[in-house]
Amino acid sequence: MGQNFFEIEDVTFKASNINKVNNVTLKIKNEGDIICLLGPSGIGKTTILRTIAGLEKVNSGSISLKNKIISSKNIHVEPENRNISLSFQDNCLFPHYSVLQNIEFGASRNKKSKKLLNSREIIKFLHLDHIVDKFPHQISSGEAQRVSLARSLLSKPDLLLLDEPLSNVDQSFKEEIQVKLKKILTELKITTIIVTHDSYEAFYLGTKCGIILDGQLKQYDDPYNVYHFPNSVEVVNFLNRGILIPAKVTGENSLENEDLGTIKGNFIKHYPKGSNVKLLLQPEDLEHDDKSNLKLEVVDRKFRGTNFIYTLKTLSNLLIPVFVHSHHIHQHEVDEKFGIKRPIHIDHIVCF
Amino acid sequence: MISFVVAIPIVTVFSSFFETTSNYSYILKDTFLYDYIFNSILLLAGVLILTFLIGVGCAYIVSFYKFPAVNFFKWSLILSFAVPAYIYAYSLTAFFENYGTAFSILKGVFGEKDYNSLIPKFDGMIGAIISISFSLFGYVYVLTRASFHYQSQNLIDLGKNLGFSKKKSFFKIILPSARPAIVAGLSLVAMETLSDFGSVSFFGVSTLTTGIYNAWTSFDDLALANRLSFYLLIFILGLFILENLSRKKAQYHTPVKENIKSKPLVLLTGYKSFLAFSFCFFIFLISFLFPVLQMLYWTIIFPKHFMDLNIIKLLFNTILLVVLSSLVLIFLAFVSNYGSRVSKSKLLEILTTFSISGYAIPGVILAVAFISFISWFDNNIVSLLEIKTIKPIFIGSILGLVFVYFIRFYSLACNGIKSGYLKINYSIDESSYLLGYSKLKTFTNIHLPYLKNSVLLIGILISIEIIKELPITLIMRPFNFETFATTAYIYASQDLLEAAAAPSLFLIAIASFFILVTSRYILKD
Repeated sequence: MGQNFFEIEDVTFKASNINKVNNVTLKIKNEGDIICLLGPSGIGKTTILRTIAGLEKVNSGSISLKNKIISSKNIHVEPENRNISLSFQDNCLFPHYSVLQNIEFGASRNKKSKKLLNSREIIKFLHLDHIVDKFPHQISSGEAQRVSLARSLLSKPDLLLLDEPLSNVDQSFKEEIQVKLKKILTELKITTIIVTHDSYEAFYLGTKCGIILDGQLKQYDDPYNVYHFPNSVEVVNFLNRGILIPAKVTGENSLENEDLGTIKGNFIKHYPKGSNVKLLLQPEDLEHDDKSNLKLEVVDRKFRGTNFIYTLKTLSNLLIPVFVHSHHIHQHEVDEKFGIKRPIHIDHIVCF
Repeated sequence: MISFVVAIPIVTVFSSFFETTSNYSYILKDTFLYDYIFNSILLLAGVLILTFLIGVGCAYIVSFYKFPAVNFFKWSLILSFAVPAYIYAYSLTAFFENYGTAFSILKGVFGEKDYNSLIPKFDGMIGAIISISFSLFGYVYVLTRASFHYQSQNLIDLGKNLGFSKKKSFFKIILPSARPAIVAGLSLVAMETLSDFGSVSFFGVSTLTTGIYNAWTSFDDLALANRLSFYLLIFILGLFILENLSRKKAQYHTPVKENIKSKPLVLLTGYKSFLAFSFCFFIFLISFLFPVLQMLYWTIIFPKHFMDLNIIKLLFNTILLVVLSSLVLIFLAFVSNYGSRVSKSKLLEILTTFSISGYAIPGVILAVAFISFISWFDNNIVSLLEIKTIKPIFIGSILGLVFVYFIRFYSLACNGIKSGYLKINYSIDESSYLLGYSKLKTFTNIHLPYLKNSVLLIGILISIEIIKELPITLIMRPFNFETFATTAYIYASQDLLEAAAAPSLFLIAIASFFILVTSRYILKD
């Protein structure tokens, strides 16, 4: 056991005696770090949180918090004695207590905690002022989620676990709450593990991100690295932020694709000259240029507010996404030709 | 432990096949046994048909139509629960007998004549069927009304879209979708009918239940009583399985309450409105007002009996039984449900399910089987330990009475607490643990405050049942210990119906009060 704040050492997570995620090792070095776990539905993310919280037992490996083992084959610290708080995805407010009583329910746990935080501040920052006297059945699911979050924060836990904390929150509040949540967690140094299906949320909030696929923790890294340097084809497919196209390595810094021609850049991992590889092409890798002689057909255009994502079809029927700023001088319609700037240069080349 | 206690009567009844019975069993086999079985089936069929017609009819009218006093009828029709079948039987006889109340009314209105030949007589099997039906139709009414109430408006709209007439919609859509609730209600009625002792014995109808009582009291043959109980148990087991199956279906059919689109009620006018009002008023009159007024009439014209009644003592005895039994039942129902919830043990869950089976066993069987068991235990186990007899502790004592009440009504308490617990998502407990609350603190801070209404409701329902309960109290009570129910029965069995009026009236008044307090919950769930 090292000097990490929190550590999962070779644990297989089970729910109803079915292995969900196998042999996970995950370390949180510093108090106050925020970890985001991403993965498809039903893969076992919630099982991981429930096990860390002590609601499920482990049969192999160990989980330790502040250098003390809290779960292993022989040790199981009861949930109420772990000082770990879990905010459930579904509404788990106490139905017979008002919103304020719900929020203050766990406040007595850590009276001596240095993490000064009072209910009034939390209520204000989560925009709950207008519903404090209401009962859970009188509020919306988004409001209930924020109340649950407030209750967990106020209990000042050593480790905060959030299961899809903002999935029901209105889009208009979501970004503001993300910003404030990150601020409060960082300022109060509340170590947090967040499960989410929203990769943008994970990339923004997380100090590190874990990708869970096929019963394994596939990648655990900084958000930037997870996005730009995915370590497997499965992670690329899961994040769905680019495509893999066939290419041939032609030099130390170049590849050749039959539709796009020569592509230059810095390889993350080197391959021998002449190797056939799959090149990861993300929307921001290609640049638009009306004057270019490399023209591809537009098959779809998605407006995303700040940008457009054009889907272009190559001669060999590959569908390539290209990012264009939404203030770009003109737009291209479906079936029109779309120019790609040459020579193509990609800052970091990821191949498989 | 609870399952073990509940198992006592079942095991005792089954073990009766290894015991020898008196000659009475052979006489019975050749003479009355088939009568017992035939009468039980006839009684059951009559009651089921009548309760179906009254219960479903009332539920349909108050659920789908708007007419004067409809809201009053919605809750007042359940007041029939307050009138036990045996008290209804006394009223029926008192009103229609020769020179009875009906005779007095006709004489008062039309002068002296011989009206006795004109007044119909409701005695024997017909009297028993009417008494039990008007006392029990509430089960079918309450469950069917709840089913109609939560029936999706979309279903009815669908019928309209398909061009169904109102009649066709009723028979093709409304009734089939309420079928599980109706079957569940009828199953309860069936079990209560087969358990009935007071009214059938009053009308002299020989059923398996009265046979059990007679075998024990008149022929002092406990083994035969248990053997007869076995036949009745087999009968009831079949009904119990049917009821369980229909409940499973009922869950399947029950729509999510939050998504209910409220049904617009059809406003009735003219003669249709009058007919709907008259039907509901007639049922309310016959099921509740009639026995109450009859008992009130007699209490007023025979004040001596009222004066002779030791009301304080009867009230104290009744309340003592109610409070003791409710406390024991609720406490143990909490222990078993909480244990089952926290441990998540499948074995505990199976045992809990088994322990509610006492509800299906008639009071007479429970009491007789319990006495048999204590006698066996006393003769075979206690005597080995060289301790004096334990019979006085359990037989003819408050403790024994509460014990048997416990077996009989445990399902009411257990299911009540269980349905309250089902409304608390398990992750609410987990949230509490994760906020630093222990299991005990979670129980006191979350479960108890949340379930307090359920507990109150269950307490009142148990109270209503115990106030009305007759055979167990009659068999198990200590010497000279009377309740309103036993006092009424004893007077009635001595043909002193006018003396039975005052205790019956008190019984109905107390039960009605409790029903009114809980009517909102009864109609809701």
